Amino acid sequence: MLFVHEVHTVVGKRADQFEDAYRHGWMPVLAESSDARLLWYFDHAHGSGPAYRVVTVTGVADGAAWLRLAQRVATGDLRMWARHLDGLQHDSRGRILTPLVWSPTIPPLADIPTEPVEHEPTMYMEDTMWPFPGKVGEYIEAAGAVYRPALGAEGSHVNMSIELALQTMPGAGRHPEVTLLQKLSSLPLLIRLLTNDIPDEVTGPDSWMHQALDLRDQWRSKLLRTATWSPLS
Amino acid sequence: MLFMHETHRVIGRHASAFEDVYRDEWMGALAAGGDARLVWYLNHAMGSGPAYQVVTVTACSDGQAWEALAQRTLGGDLAAMASRLDSYRYEVEGKLLTPVAWSALQDVDLEKVPADGRQHELSLYMQDTGWPDAPLDDYIELWDQDYWQHMRKIPEEKKLLDIVACFQVARGSGIRPEAILMQKIMNFSTLGHLLTSVEKHDPSTWPGSYMAKGLELRDQWESKLLRTSSWSPLW
Repeated sequence: MLFVHEVHTVVGKRADQFEDAYRHGWMPVLAESSDARLLWYFDHAHGSGPAYRVVTVTGVADGAAWLRLAQRVATGDLRMWARHLDGLQHDSRGRILTPLVWSPTIPPLADIPTEPVEHEPTMYMEDTMWPFPGKVGEYIEAAGAVYRPALGAEGSHVNMSIELALQTMPGAGRHPEVTLLQKLSSLPLLIRLLTNDIPDEVTGPDSWMHQALDLRDQWRSKLLRTATWSPLS
Repeated sequence: MLFMHETHRVIGRHASAFEDVYRDEWMGALAAGGDARLVWYLNHAMGSGPAYQVVTVTACSDGQAWEALAQRTLGGDLAAMASRLDSYRYEVEGKLLTPVAWSALQDVDLEKVPADGRQHELSLYMQDTGWPDAPLDDYIELWDQDYWQHMRKIPEEKKLLDIVACFQVARGSGIRPEAILMQKIMNFSTLGHLLTSVEKHDPSTWPGSYMAKGLELRDQWESKLLRTSSWSPLW
């Protein structure tokens, strides 16, 4: 499975219409074939970054399924839907991602809900990293061996789990680039992370924070909140 | 057919090594299969923009061919070569393009694309990338009706450029709305005139009429002057 990750800069006055276009347009139309499913619909939490940003993640079976979908948008039955969306967003920036070897998996596309099912919103921290030239392989290996288990360890400073670990496909975004989609399970721990300096034991010479600086020193975190009808939460 | 468009920010001191790998190894490795070929290797002309930027365009027969190439690059037989390329550049930004309906270039006969590094003279391309604030389809139609249809009628001896291809970004692999023109410069003295003349927006003359109408759909685009290498398969 491949993941089409899109960041939409939405026209503020038309934010509700934009969401409707995905909820009542994109999601059910994709359900008519087995090629693709809308997986997540996120709002970038206001107060933590840019305004009126929406992140959508669409799962596609493979490269052939993705191109069939892209051609439906360019010249087929989804062309008018896309034209409608052009009036609701300033732009969207997409990339196509593939799971890392150690990534957790999500349910098969056939099991993804295609009807809006109301649920509580869920917070995610999406981290995107850009390893140094020639270091992406080492970074991926270290993140799987050191970072991932540390998140679930007792005493972890932020309680979250990696739902997907991905890298950007050549030709479909920036490279080298790694993206972690992490579900937050404790709001108090997130607030503590945001309001306190990082403890010395987390940044000391033997820590992941310190050692990983040999592999990358630039990343970006986004706090994303699922819509109450997002297929995955 | 899909066109994988990549902009490489090359580490200056490794620029020759980067090009050597593309010419001597990468191009041949792609040609060993039947479904992808390097078609353009272009240097962003120094003096006209960022330094040490290379643009490559790889033609893939379909989505499956692109995915297979991408997976070979990430973890297959091309991974070691890709890792060396990674060490010669800061980063690469890619997008997947499909030709618009009226584009002169629709398909490439992959079997006929040379992969032996044969030498030729250099060509200069003007790559225009536009971002409309109107529906993308309307912008592509404007390019067809008010630009392509006009430019194709200009006599060869008076042509500034030849519009070789027009692409849009396949959904999910880059920016929407965005469209791209690949234009081969046919007359360097006319290019010089374009660069040094004061812009006049007389609606009755080209490019005035197109420029004026174009502003109804967009006011942001970027031109890049890209020079083929002496061995670029297409030039």
